[in-house]
Amino acid sequence: MKNFLRQNGIWLLAIALLLSLVITLSSVLLGGSANPLSNVVQAVTSPIRGGISAVLDWAGGVSDYVFRYGEMQQELEDLRVQVSQLEEQIRQGEEDSRENEQLRELLKLQQQRQDFVFENARVTARSNSNWESTLTLSKGSAAGVAAGNCVITETGVLVGVVSEVGTNWCTVSTVINTDIEMGGIVTRTYSAGVLEGDFSLMSQGKLKLNYLPEGAQLVSGDEVLTSGKGDVYPSGLVVGRVEGVFTDPSGMTRYAVITPDVDLSSLIEVFVIKDFDIVE
Amino acid sequence: MTRRDLMHKWLIYTLGLVPIWLLDAYILPRFPLFGTTPILLPVAVVAVAVLEGAHAGAGFGMGVGLLWALAYPGGYGSRVFLLSLLGMASGALCQYVLSQSLAGCMLCAAGVVALLDLQQIFRLLLADLAHLPALLQVAVPEWLLTMLWTPIIYVLFRAIFRRVGGTKLA
Repeated sequence: MKNFLRQNGIWLLAIALLLSLVITLSSVLLGGSANPLSNVVQAVTSPIRGGISAVLDWAGGVSDYVFRYGEMQQELEDLRVQVSQLEEQIRQGEEDSRENEQLRELLKLQQQRQDFVFENARVTARSNSNWESTLTLSKGSAAGVAAGNCVITETGVLVGVVSEVGTNWCTVSTVINTDIEMGGIVTRTYSAGVLEGDFSLMSQGKLKLNYLPEGAQLVSGDEVLTSGKGDVYPSGLVVGRVEGVFTDPSGMTRYAVITPDVDLSSLIEVFVIKDFDIVE
Repeated sequence: MTRRDLMHKWLIYTLGLVPIWLLDAYILPRFPLFGTTPILLPVAVVAVAVLEGAHAGAGFGMGVGLLWALAYPGGYGSRVFLLSLLGMASGALCQYVLSQSLAGCMLCAAGVVALLDLQQIFRLLLADLAHLPALLQVAVPEWLLTMLWTPIIYVLFRAIFRRVGGTKLA
Protein backbone atom coordinates (compact mmCIF):
# COMPACT_ATOMS: atom_id res chain seq x y z
CA MET A 1 0.00 0.00 0.00
CA LYS A 2 2.83 2.35 0.97
CA ASN A 3 4.61 1.64 -2.32
CA PHE A 4 1.39 2.00 -4.27
CA LEU A 5 0.72 5.42 -2.78
CA ARG A 6 4.36 6.47 -3.28
CA GLN A 7 4.21 5.47 -6.96
CA ASN A 8 0.83 7.02 -7.51
CA GLY A 9 1.37 10.49 -6.20
CA ILE A 10 0.79 10.58 -2.46
CA TRP A 11 2.68 13.88 -2.43
CA LEU A 12 0.15 15.29 -4.91
CA LEU A 13 -2.61 14.35 -2.49
CA ALA A 14 -0.74 16.05 0.33
CA ILE A 15 -0.42 19.27 -1.73
CA ALA A 16 -4.12 19.04 -2.66
CA LEU A 17 -5.05 18.66 1.01
CA LEU A 18 -2.95 21.67 1.94
CA LEU A 19 -4.52 23.79 -0.82
CA SER A 20 -8.00 22.67 0.30
CA LEU A 21 -7.26 23.76 3.85
CA VAL A 22 -5.85 27.14 2.76
CA ILE A 23 -8.89 27.90 0.54
CA THR A 24 -11.39 26.73 3.16
CA LEU A 25 -9.75 28.68 5.98
CA SER A 26 -9.47 31.89 3.94
CA SER A 27 -13.14 31.56 2.89
CA VAL A 28 -14.23 31.08 6.51
CA LEU A 29 -12.13 33.96 7.81
CA LEU A 30 -13.19 36.43 5.11
CA GLY A 31 -16.95 35.87 5.46
CA GLY A 32 -18.85 37.64 2.64
CA SER A 33 -15.68 38.70 0.81
CA ALA A 34 -14.20 36.31 -1.71
CA ASN A 35 -10.92 34.68 -0.68
CA PRO A 36 -7.91 36.29 -2.43
CA LEU A 37 -7.20 33.32 -4.71
CA SER A 38 -10.81 33.05 -5.80
CA ASN A 39 -10.96 36.82 -6.29
CA VAL A 40 -7.94 36.76 -8.63
CA VAL A 41 -9.29 33.83 -10.67
CA GLN A 42 -12.79 35.32 -10.92
CA ALA A 43 -11.42 38.77 -11.79
CA VAL A 44 -9.26 37.27 -14.55
CA THR A 45 -12.13 35.18 -15.94
CA SER A 46 -14.60 38.07 -15.68
CA PRO A 47 -14.08 39.27 -19.31
CA ILE A 48 -14.59 35.68 -20.53
CA ARG A 49 -17.86 35.47 -18.55
CA GLY A 50 -18.96 38.85 -19.88
CA GLY A 51 -18.07 37.91 -23.47
CA ILE A 52 -19.85 34.56 -23.39
CA SER A 53 -22.87 36.13 -21.70
CA ALA A 54 -23.06 38.87 -24.36
CA VAL A 55 -22.79 36.34 -27.18
CA LEU A 56 -25.48 34.10 -25.62
CA ASP A 57 -27.78 37.09 -25.01
CA TRP A 58 -27.34 38.16 -28.64
CA ALA A 59 -27.94 34.59 -29.88
CA GLY A 60 -31.04 34.37 -27.67
CA GLY A 61 -32.34 37.64 -29.16
CA VAL A 62 -31.75 36.44 -32.72
CA SER A 63 -33.38 33.08 -31.99
CA ASP A 64 -36.40 34.84 -30.45
CA TYR A 65 -36.66 37.09 -33.50
CA VAL A 66 -36.50 34.16 -35.91
CA PHE A 67 -38.54 31.52 -34.08
CA ARG A 68 -40.87 33.56 -31.86
CA TYR A 69 -41.69 36.53 -34.08
CA GLY A 70 -45.47 35.96 -33.97
CA GLU A 71 -45.41 35.39 -30.23
CA MET A 72 -43.37 38.58 -29.70
CA GLN A 73 -45.78 40.56 -31.91
CA GLN A 74 -48.67 39.38 -29.74
CA GLU A 75 -46.68 40.19 -26.59
CA LEU A 76 -46.08 43.70 -27.93
CA GLU A 77 -49.81 44.18 -28.51
CA ASP A 78 -50.59 42.94 -24.99
CA LEU A 79 -47.95 45.25 -23.53
CA ARG A 80 -49.41 48.26 -25.38
CA VAL A 81 -52.79 47.53 -23.81
CA GLN A 82 -51.10 47.09 -20.43
CA VAL A 83 -49.25 50.42 -20.81
CA SER A 84 -52.48 52.30 -21.51
CA GLN A 85 -54.10 50.68 -18.44
CA LEU A 86 -51.07 51.59 -16.30
CA GLU A 87 -51.12 55.19 -17.59
CA GLU A 88 -54.73 55.43 -16.42
CA GLN A 89 -53.72 54.00 -13.03
CA ILE A 90 -50.83 56.51 -12.79
CA ARG A 91 -53.22 59.42 -13.42
CA GLN A 92 -55.45 58.09 -10.64
CA GLY A 93 -52.37 57.47 -8.45
CA GLU A 94 -51.11 61.03 -8.92
CA GLU A 95 -54.44 62.37 -7.74
CA ASP A 96 -54.34 60.03 -4.73
CA SER A 97 -50.76 61.10 -3.95
CA ARG A 98 -51.76 64.78 -3.95
CA GLU A 99 -54.64 64.00 -1.60
CA ASN A 100 -52.34 61.89 0.58
CA GLU A 101 -49.81 64.75 0.73
CA GLN A 102 -52.49 67.21 1.83
CA LEU A 103 -53.71 64.80 4.54
CA ARG A 104 -50.16 64.23 5.77
CA GLU A 105 -49.63 67.97 6.04
CA LEU A 106 -52.91 68.27 7.88
CA LEU A 107 -51.90 65.55 10.36
CA LYS A 108 -48.30 66.85 10.57
CA LEU A 109 -46.93 63.44 9.50
CA GLN A 110 -43.37 63.06 8.19
CA GLN A 111 -43.09 62.83 4.40
CA GLN A 112 -43.01 59.22 3.21
CA ARG A 113 -39.97 58.50 1.05
CA GLN A 114 -37.68 55.81 -0.29
CA ASP A 115 -34.11 56.78 -1.10
CA PHE A 116 -32.06 54.11 -2.81
CA VAL A 117 -28.47 54.27 -4.02
CA PHE A 118 -28.28 51.98 -7.04
CA GLU A 119 -25.48 50.35 -8.99
CA ASN A 120 -26.47 48.78 -12.28
CA ALA A 121 -24.86 45.46 -13.22
CA ARG A 122 -25.10 42.78 -15.86
CA VAL A 123 -25.81 39.13 -15.15
CA THR A 124 -22.72 37.38 -16.48
CA ALA A 125 -23.32 33.82 -15.29
CA ARG A 126 -26.07 31.70 -13.84
CA SER A 127 -25.88 29.04 -11.19
CA ASN A 128 -24.01 26.03 -12.53
CA SER A 129 -25.00 23.82 -9.64
CA ASN A 130 -28.36 22.10 -9.32
CA TRP A 131 -28.09 22.43 -5.54
CA GLU A 132 -28.33 26.21 -5.33
CA SER A 133 -29.70 29.17 -7.24
CA THR A 134 -27.19 31.96 -7.76
CA LEU A 135 -26.26 34.61 -10.30
CA THR A 136 -22.89 36.21 -10.97
CA LEU A 137 -22.95 39.96 -11.64
CA SER A 138 -20.43 42.21 -13.39
CA LYS A 139 -19.87 44.61 -10.44
CA GLY A 140 -18.06 44.10 -7.16
CA SER A 141 -16.40 45.89 -4.26
CA ALA A 142 -14.70 48.36 -6.65
CA ALA A 143 -18.18 49.73 -7.43
CA GLY A 144 -19.21 49.78 -3.76
CA VAL A 145 -21.19 46.53 -3.79
CA ALA A 146 -21.18 44.68 -0.44
CA ALA A 147 -22.46 41.35 0.87
CA GLY A 148 -26.07 41.69 2.04
CA ASN A 149 -27.06 44.27 -0.63
CA CYS A 150 -30.42 43.60 -2.26
CA VAL A 151 -30.62 43.18 -6.02
CA ILE A 152 -33.72 44.21 -7.97
CA THR A 153 -34.94 44.46 -11.55
CA GLU A 154 -35.70 47.76 -13.32
CA THR A 155 -39.32 47.42 -12.11
CA GLY A 156 -38.36 47.01 -8.43
CA VAL A 157 -38.88 43.26 -8.24
CA LEU A 158 -36.51 41.53 -5.82
CA VAL A 159 -33.95 39.26 -7.51
CA GLY A 160 -31.91 38.25 -4.46
CA VAL A 161 -29.21 39.25 -2.00
CA VAL A 162 -25.47 39.62 -2.65
CA SER A 163 -23.72 36.73 -0.88
CA GLU A 164 -20.08 37.00 -1.96
CA VAL A 165 -18.14 39.97 -3.33
CA GLY A 166 -14.94 40.17 -5.33
CA THR A 167 -13.23 43.17 -6.94
CA ASN A 168 -15.20 43.28 -10.19
CA TRP A 169 -17.81 40.58 -9.63
CA CYS A 170 -20.29 39.42 -7.03
CA THR A 171 -22.47 36.40 -6.43
CA VAL A 172 -26.17 36.82 -5.71
CA SER A 173 -28.28 34.28 -3.84
CA THR A 174 -31.59 34.47 -5.67
CA VAL A 175 -34.90 34.76 -3.79
CA ILE A 176 -35.49 31.02 -4.16
CA ASN A 177 -32.07 29.94 -2.80
CA THR A 178 -32.07 28.04 0.49
CA ASP A 179 -29.94 30.64 2.31
CA ILE A 180 -32.49 33.45 1.79
CA GLU A 181 -34.25 34.63 4.94
CA MET A 182 -35.96 38.02 5.24
CA GLY A 183 -39.16 39.60 6.48
CA GLY A 184 -42.13 39.55 4.12
CA ILE A 185 -45.58 41.10 4.24
CA VAL A 186 -48.80 40.43 2.32
CA THR A 187 -50.05 43.81 1.07
CA ARG A 188 -53.80 43.02 1.16
CA THR A 189 -53.95 41.71 4.73
CA TYR A 190 -50.72 43.15 6.23
CA SER A 191 -49.88 39.62 7.41
CA ALA A 192 -46.18 39.44 8.17
CA GLY A 193 -44.01 36.33 7.92
CA VAL A 194 -40.49 35.21 7.11
CA LEU A 195 -39.54 34.70 3.46
CA GLU A 196 -37.36 31.60 3.22
CA GLY A 197 -35.88 29.59 0.40
CA ASP A 198 -36.85 25.93 0.49
CA PHE A 199 -34.91 23.19 -1.28
CA SER A 200 -37.93 21.27 -2.57
CA LEU A 201 -39.56 24.49 -3.83
CA MET A 202 -36.32 25.81 -5.35
CA SER A 203 -36.49 23.38 -8.28
CA GLN A 204 -40.00 24.69 -9.02
CA GLY A 205 -38.72 28.29 -8.83
CA LYS A 206 -40.73 29.13 -5.69
CA LEU A 207 -40.15 30.07 -2.03
CA LYS A 208 -41.99 30.07 1.31
CA LEU A 209 -43.54 32.78 3.47
CA ASN A 210 -43.20 31.07 6.84
CA TYR A 211 -44.64 31.66 10.33
CA LEU A 212 -47.87 33.27 9.15
CA PRO A 213 -50.12 34.67 11.89
CA GLU A 214 -52.97 32.33 12.86
CA GLY A 215 -55.80 34.49 11.59
CA ALA A 216 -54.19 35.40 8.26
CA GLN A 217 -56.71 34.95 5.45
CA LEU A 218 -54.55 34.81 2.33
CA VAL A 219 -55.84 34.06 -1.12
CA SER A 220 -54.06 32.98 -4.23
CA GLY A 221 -52.64 35.99 -6.08
CA ASP A 222 -52.02 38.18 -3.00
CA GLU A 223 -48.95 40.35 -3.49
CA VAL A 224 -45.97 39.84 -1.15
CA LEU A 225 -43.41 42.57 -0.45
CA THR A 226 -40.34 42.74 1.77
CA SER A 227 -41.30 44.09 5.19
CA GLY A 228 -37.95 45.67 6.01
CA LYS A 229 -38.16 44.45 9.60
CA GLY A 230 -34.80 44.70 11.34
CA ASP A 231 -33.66 47.39 8.85
CA VAL A 232 -31.28 44.94 7.20
CA TYR A 233 -33.15 44.87 3.88
CA PRO A 234 -35.29 47.66 2.43
CA SER A 235 -39.07 47.43 2.71
CA GLY A 236 -41.54 47.51 -0.17
CA LEU A 237 -39.59 45.45 -2.70
CA VAL A 238 -41.93 43.22 -4.69
CA VAL A 239 -41.20 39.54 -4.09
CA GLY A 240 -44.07 37.69 -5.72
CA ARG A 241 -47.58 36.34 -5.30
CA VAL A 242 -49.19 33.82 -2.98
CA GLU A 243 -49.87 30.53 -4.70
CA GLY A 244 -51.37 28.62 -1.78
CA VAL A 245 -51.38 28.36 2.00
CA PHE A 246 -50.33 25.15 3.77
CA THR A 247 -49.80 23.88 7.32
CA ASP A 248 -46.29 22.57 8.04
CA PRO A 249 -45.87 18.85 8.91
CA SER A 250 -45.68 19.61 12.66
CA GLY A 251 -49.13 21.24 12.43
CA MET A 252 -47.88 24.18 14.48
CA THR A 253 -47.43 26.89 11.86
CA ARG A 254 -48.82 27.83 8.48
CA TYR A 255 -46.84 28.91 5.47
CA ALA A 256 -47.61 30.28 2.02
CA VAL A 257 -45.91 29.18 -1.17
CA ILE A 258 -44.82 32.24 -3.12
CA THR A 259 -44.23 32.43 -6.85
CA PRO A 260 -41.61 35.17 -7.42
CA ASP A 261 -42.43 37.91 -9.92
CA VAL A 262 -38.88 37.82 -11.24
CA ASP A 263 -38.06 35.57 -14.19
CA LEU A 264 -34.56 34.46 -13.25
CA SER A 265 -33.85 32.79 -16.57
CA SER A 266 -34.29 35.95 -18.64
CA LEU A 267 -32.46 38.50 -16.49
CA ILE A 268 -29.81 40.55 -18.28
CA GLU A 269 -29.49 43.84 -16.38
CA VAL A 270 -30.17 44.31 -12.65
CA PHE A 271 -29.70 46.98 -9.97
CA VAL A 272 -27.84 46.53 -6.70
CA ILE A 273 -29.21 48.63 -3.81
CA LYS A 274 -25.96 49.79 -2.20
CA ASP A 275 -27.64 51.99 0.41
CA PHE A 276 -31.19 52.89 1.38
CA ASP A 277 -33.11 55.23 3.59
CA ILE A 278 -36.81 54.64 4.00
CA VAL A 279 -39.31 56.76 5.95
CA GLU A 280 -42.80 55.28 6.26
CA MET B 1 10.30 12.10 -21.56
CA THR B 2 11.82 15.55 -21.16
CA ARG B 3 10.36 18.27 -18.98
CA ARG B 4 9.49 20.18 -22.16
CA ASP B 5 7.55 17.19 -23.56
CA LEU B 6 5.74 16.82 -20.28
CA MET B 7 4.73 20.48 -20.27
CA HIS B 8 3.63 20.24 -23.90
CA LYS B 9 1.48 17.20 -23.09
CA TRP B 10 -0.26 18.79 -20.11
CA LEU B 11 -0.75 22.05 -21.98
CA ILE B 12 -2.70 20.14 -24.62
CA TYR B 13 -4.77 18.41 -21.91
CA THR B 14 -5.45 21.83 -20.33
CA LEU B 15 -6.56 23.20 -23.70
CA GLY B 16 -8.88 20.19 -23.97
CA LEU B 17 -10.36 21.15 -20.63
CA VAL B 18 -11.18 24.73 -21.72
CA PRO B 19 -14.27 23.92 -23.85
CA ILE B 20 -15.55 21.60 -21.11
CA TRP B 21 -15.11 24.32 -18.49
CA LEU B 22 -16.86 26.94 -20.67
CA LEU B 23 -19.74 24.53 -21.34
CA ASP B 24 -20.00 23.54 -17.68
CA ALA B 25 -19.71 27.01 -16.16
CA TYR B 26 -21.34 29.37 -18.62
CA ILE B 27 -23.18 27.73 -21.50
CA LEU B 28 -25.10 24.70 -20.18
CA PRO B 29 -26.52 26.56 -17.11
CA ARG B 30 -28.29 28.86 -19.62
CA PHE B 31 -30.04 25.90 -21.23
CA PRO B 32 -30.92 23.44 -18.47
CA LEU B 33 -32.48 20.19 -19.66
CA PHE B 34 -35.54 19.38 -17.49
CA GLY B 35 -34.24 22.01 -15.06
CA THR B 36 -30.94 20.17 -14.61
CA THR B 37 -27.38 20.88 -15.70
CA PRO B 38 -24.67 18.19 -15.81
CA ILE B 39 -21.40 18.39 -13.85
CA LEU B 40 -18.64 17.97 -16.40
CA LEU B 41 -15.43 18.82 -14.53
CA PRO B 42 -15.27 15.60 -12.41
CA VAL B 43 -15.93 13.56 -15.57
CA ALA B 44 -13.00 15.31 -17.27
CA VAL B 45 -10.79 14.26 -14.33
CA VAL B 46 -12.01 10.66 -14.58
CA ALA B 47 -11.44 10.54 -18.35
CA VAL B 48 -7.82 11.75 -18.03
CA ALA B 49 -7.20 9.48 -15.02
CA VAL B 50 -8.51 6.44 -16.92
CA LEU B 51 -6.25 7.17 -19.89
CA GLU B 52 -3.13 8.36 -18.05
CA GLY B 53 -3.21 6.43 -14.78
CA ALA B 54 -3.44 7.17 -11.07
CA HIS B 55 -0.50 9.56 -10.73
CA ALA B 56 -1.63 11.78 -13.60
CA GLY B 57 -5.23 11.49 -12.38
CA ALA B 58 -4.25 12.87 -8.98
CA GLY B 59 -2.36 15.80 -10.57
CA PHE B 60 -5.04 16.64 -13.12
CA GLY B 61 -7.67 16.24 -10.38
CA MET B 62 -5.83 18.77 -8.25
CA GLY B 63 -5.70 21.29 -11.12
CA VAL B 64 -9.36 20.83 -12.03
CA GLY B 65 -10.27 20.91 -8.33
CA LEU B 66 -8.54 24.29 -8.04
CA LEU B 67 -10.51 25.56 -11.03
CA TRP B 68 -13.76 24.23 -9.51
CA ALA B 69 -13.03 25.76 -6.11
CA LEU B 70 -11.80 29.14 -7.32
CA ALA B 71 -13.56 29.98 -10.59
CA TYR B 72 -17.05 28.87 -9.58
CA PRO B 73 -19.33 30.85 -7.27
CA GLY B 74 -19.48 29.41 -3.75
CA GLY B 75 -16.69 26.95 -4.53
CA TYR B 76 -15.53 24.77 -1.63
CA GLY B 77 -11.85 24.31 -0.84
CA SER B 78 -12.48 20.62 -0.22
CA ARG B 79 -13.06 20.14 -3.95
CA VAL B 80 -9.29 20.33 -4.58
CA PHE B 81 -8.52 17.35 -2.35
CA LEU B 82 -11.67 15.47 -3.33
CA LEU B 83 -11.02 15.63 -7.09
CA SER B 84 -7.37 14.79 -6.60
CA LEU B 85 -8.32 11.73 -4.55
CA LEU B 86 -11.06 10.67 -6.96
CA GLY B 87 -8.70 11.14 -9.93
CA MET B 88 -6.12 8.95 -8.26
CA ALA B 89 -8.68 6.29 -7.33
CA SER B 90 -10.24 6.21 -10.83
CA GLY B 91 -6.83 5.97 -12.46
CA ALA B 92 -5.72 3.15 -10.17
CA LEU B 93 -9.01 1.29 -10.55
CA CYS B 94 -8.82 1.33 -14.35
CA GLN B 95 -5.09 0.57 -14.36
CA TYR B 96 -5.26 -2.45 -12.06
CA VAL B 97 -8.88 -3.71 -11.91
CA LEU B 98 -11.04 -2.46 -14.80
CA SER B 99 -9.84 -1.50 -18.27
CA GLN B 100 -8.50 1.76 -19.67
CA SER B 101 -11.47 2.10 -22.00
CA LEU B 102 -14.82 3.84 -22.38
CA ALA B 103 -16.47 1.15 -20.26
CA GLY B 104 -13.96 1.73 -17.46
CA CYS B 105 -14.46 5.48 -17.76
CA MET B 106 -18.27 5.12 -17.65
CA LEU B 107 -18.06 2.96 -14.50
CA CYS B 108 -15.64 5.30 -12.74
CA ALA B 109 -17.59 8.42 -13.76
CA ALA B 110 -20.80 6.81 -12.50
CA GLY B 111 -19.14 6.15 -9.15
CA VAL B 112 -17.48 9.57 -8.89
CA VAL B 113 -20.63 11.55 -9.76
CA ALA B 114 -22.68 9.38 -7.40
CA LEU B 115 -20.16 10.05 -4.62
CA LEU B 116 -20.25 13.80 -5.25
CA ASP B 117 -24.06 13.74 -5.23
CA LEU B 118 -24.05 11.69 -2.02
CA GLN B 119 -21.74 14.27 -0.45
CA GLN B 120 -24.24 17.04 -1.31
CA ILE B 121 -27.15 14.94 -0.03
CA PHE B 122 -25.44 14.31 3.32
CA ARG B 123 -24.44 17.97 3.63
CA LEU B 124 -28.00 19.17 3.10
CA LEU B 125 -29.51 16.41 5.28
CA LEU B 126 -27.10 17.24 8.11
CA ALA B 127 -27.95 20.95 7.81
CA ASP B 128 -31.63 19.93 7.85
CA LEU B 129 -32.25 21.99 4.72
CA ALA B 130 -34.17 19.34 2.79
CA HIS B 131 -35.70 15.87 2.89
CA LEU B 132 -34.29 12.86 1.06
CA PRO B 133 -36.99 12.61 -1.68
CA ALA B 134 -36.45 16.27 -2.67
CA LEU B 135 -32.68 15.73 -2.73
CA LEU B 136 -32.99 12.60 -4.85
CA GLN B 137 -35.16 14.52 -7.31
CA VAL B 138 -32.12 16.71 -7.98
CA ALA B 139 -29.38 14.09 -7.66
CA VAL B 140 -30.83 11.43 -10.00
CA PRO B 141 -31.41 13.69 -13.06
CA GLU B 142 -28.01 15.30 -12.47
CA TRP B 143 -26.35 11.88 -12.41
CA LEU B 144 -28.20 10.68 -15.53
CA LEU B 145 -27.49 13.83 -17.52
CA THR B 146 -23.82 13.77 -16.54
CA MET B 147 -23.57 10.15 -17.66
CA LEU B 148 -24.92 11.18 -21.08
CA TRP B 149 -22.03 13.64 -21.43
CA THR B 150 -19.37 11.14 -20.28
CA PRO B 151 -18.74 9.42 -23.68
CA ILE B 152 -18.33 12.83 -25.38
CA ILE B 153 -15.75 13.94 -22.83
CA TYR B 154 -13.96 10.58 -22.97
CA VAL B 155 -13.76 10.75 -26.79
CA LEU B 156 -12.29 14.28 -26.60
CA PHE B 157 -9.56 13.27 -24.16
CA ARG B 158 -8.91 9.98 -25.97
CA ALA B 159 -8.21 11.99 -29.12
CA ILE B 160 -5.70 14.06 -27.13
CA PHE B 161 -4.25 10.90 -25.55
CA ARG B 162 -3.72 9.33 -28.97
CA ARG B 163 -1.62 12.32 -30.03
CA VAL B 164 0.30 13.25 -26.92
CA GLY B 165 -0.74 10.80 -24.18
CA GLY B 166 1.40 8.35 -22.21
CA THR B 167 5.01 8.56 -23.41
CA LYS B 168 4.18 9.28 -27.05
CA LEU B 169 6.16 12.51 -27.01
CA ALA B 170 9.25 10.82 -25.58
